[in-house]
Amino acid sequence: MEGKFPSPETTHLLQRIKEFSRSIVEDLAEGKSPEISINRFRNYCMNPEADCFCSSDKPKGQEILTFKREPQTYRIDMLLRVLLIVQQLLQENRHASKRDIYYMHPSAFKAQSVVDRAIGDICILFQCSRFNLNVVSVGNGLVMGWLKFREAGRKFDCLNSLNTAFPVPVLVEEVEDIVSLAEYILVVEKETVFQRLANDMFCKMNRCIVITGRGYPDVSTRRFLRLLIEKLHLPVHCLVDCDPYGFEILATYRFGSMQMAYDVESLRAPDMKWLGAFPSDSEIYSVPQQCLLPLTEEDKKRTEAILLRCYLKREMPQWRLELETMLNRGVKFEIEALSVHSLSFLSEVYIPSKIRREVSSP
Amino acid sequence: MEENSGLSSMKFFSDQYHSYADILRPHEARARIEVSVLNLLRILNSPDPEIFDLSLINRKRSNSCINKGILTDVSYIFLSTSFTKSSLTNAKTAKAFVRVWKVMEICFQILLQEKRVTQRELFYKLLCDSPEYFSSQIEVNRTVQDVVALLRCSRYSLGIMASSRGLVAGRLFLQEPGKEAVDCSVCGSSGFTISGDLNLLDNTIMRSDARYIIIVEKHAIFHRLVEDRVFNHIPCVFITAKGYPDIATRFFLHRMSTTFPDLPILALVDWNPAGLAILCTFKFGSIGMGLEAYRYACNVKWIGIRGDDLDLIPEESLVPQKPKDLQIAKSLMSSKILQENYRYELSLMIQTGKRAEIEALYCHGYDYLGKYIATKIVQGKYI
Repeated sequence: MEGKFPSPETTHLLQRIKEFSRSIVEDLAEGKSPEISINRFRNYCMNPEADCFCSSDKPKGQEILTFKREPQTYRIDMLLRVLLIVQQLLQENRHASKRDIYYMHPSAFKAQSVVDRAIGDICILFQCSRFNLNVVSVGNGLVMGWLKFREAGRKFDCLNSLNTAFPVPVLVEEVEDIVSLAEYILVVEKETVFQRLANDMFCKMNRCIVITGRGYPDVSTRRFLRLLIEKLHLPVHCLVDCDPYGFEILATYRFGSMQMAYDVESLRAPDMKWLGAFPSDSEIYSVPQQCLLPLTEEDKKRTEAILLRCYLKREMPQWRLELETMLNRGVKFEIEALSVHSLSFLSEVYIPSKIRREVSSP
Repeated sequence: MEENSGLSSMKFFSDQYHSYADILRPHEARARIEVSVLNLLRILNSPDPEIFDLSLINRKRSNSCINKGILTDVSYIFLSTSFTKSSLTNAKTAKAFVRVWKVMEICFQILLQEKRVTQRELFYKLLCDSPEYFSSQIEVNRTVQDVVALLRCSRYSLGIMASSRGLVAGRLFLQEPGKEAVDCSVCGSSGFTISGDLNLLDNTIMRSDARYIIIVEKHAIFHRLVEDRVFNHIPCVFITAKGYPDIATRFFLHRMSTTFPDLPILALVDWNPAGLAILCTFKFGSIGMGLEAYRYACNVKWIGIRGDDLDLIPEESLVPQKPKDLQIAKSLMSSKILQENYRYELSLMIQTGKRAEIEALYCHGYDYLGKYIATKIVQGKYI
């Protein structure tokens, strides 16, 4: 907020930006081309043997940008322009989204993707996360349950209204004083499931925190979840639809996304458990035939692509098995299908029994 | 007959041609369902049995009328008394006829349990209980609207959950029954979430010292204005529905406008037909939500971005419209309700074929947006 003193990290980063710029100027003064080394990151590959190093957060290769080649010069140019704006943001203690930055100089940045890449390059170069650069986007997440915290001067007292949805704060870095009496964290894919749990007063009967990203989770939701895990050390369970899209969401929470592979440490939930829904659940919980929808061609292709990912082979073979079962059976179903016989089935039977038995794959 | 003359005399009040949806408590909604069922049974059991046709308020454009406020500045769309008939004896509408009763049955059960359902859950329940009649989500949604039209009560009253998308921040104090007052100027960076529970919103006490209510189309812009505490420089309340407005946000805005009738309501939208459509929905209501719409129309004025702001926008930020924009533009143009100056603005959009987002103003500096709004307000440049 305006008037706040920059944090020590910000001051340090500003210092490093100055040093970086100085080194470029010095190179230019000597008539040399600067050499900027940008590491490459990925969080999975399609290596069938899975004897890759994807699980480590170390870079997998690097590129060196110089003035010797035109496209690289352009890339350095954009990097410096965005860096200038970032410097301003840090000095003034303001935040901007990637889109805002694009609009500040649309003639220079011909497209949004140019800005996106420059920001990625800067994060990798300075080994920091996007939020360290004061680049944040509004988020879509919701949270409720046995939790209390403060953000930017406002008290979030979820504990007092257990079934009210609170927005996941955008400036996750300004979240303080996290207090919780929860026994676990439950992450659900869809807003409708979140609403169902709220309507059933799930948090009254179960001491937990419920979060949803309302679909594919954005950075602030993933960051917030990560923060809760770091501060509270609670087990995390994930409830998604039994379809490739649901699994993709689970994988994003657990392993991170390729786009943000350079920042995977601050964004993923490393021990997240897959609570459901599994293909096997459709039999165990008597999901009626009409609710089992056939996998489309698109679904099948997607599933096959996911199955090639190395982390499934190496780290979560049980998840791989379930995914293969889904592909073999050729059907998918949504969480709502489980509540067909009784609306409160999800809250009263499915979730508590799974958590109790820890039948969810580890 | 007395009844008839009573009815005919009431025709002098235009209100009587309105069809509107009530917000009911669960037991009231159940009562209406019971009455419908009893009526059906009564006619079946009568000496001259027949199955009457379901008269549903026609949700087509042809049945929409505009009420132009004479004493007030509020105009709104409402659905008049033209009905479509859904008949069991007509092969085409027979299934639709049955669907309405099936949905009413489930809603009744839900209301009895004092719970709510999402439309998706409703779909799965119907898919399992009556697969011959329901095969897609769209059918379910349409049938729900049919029930709303038949019983003349809101979707929310039937026990269907409403999601909350709206946010509000600024110089406003809100007090929900039984809770402490919340200060919306100290709400972190996200603002206060507007609940989907219309009953709750109806009973929320509001206090404010703001001078304006400003509707913001996009979440990102809302966030920017809240982060910069623009509501302290311009004493106002910011509200957003994060896009196309939902019923709850419109209801909330309407409540604010009746609680603070002297506060002008201004809208900040992107310069494109979609933005104008969003403004018009806040302003007039929408036909799709016909029965629920009219009550929440407000006298909204368009502050920006408008045609005369285009010189503030750099060339590169004026991008070509998407195909959807053209469709929306056509639909808006043919709407009877669009006033002359809006029509002019819309034709400018169609002529140039371009659009611009509010963020385009950032090229003038990061805090330019606050200054832009303040200037426009001071100069009274809103239509």
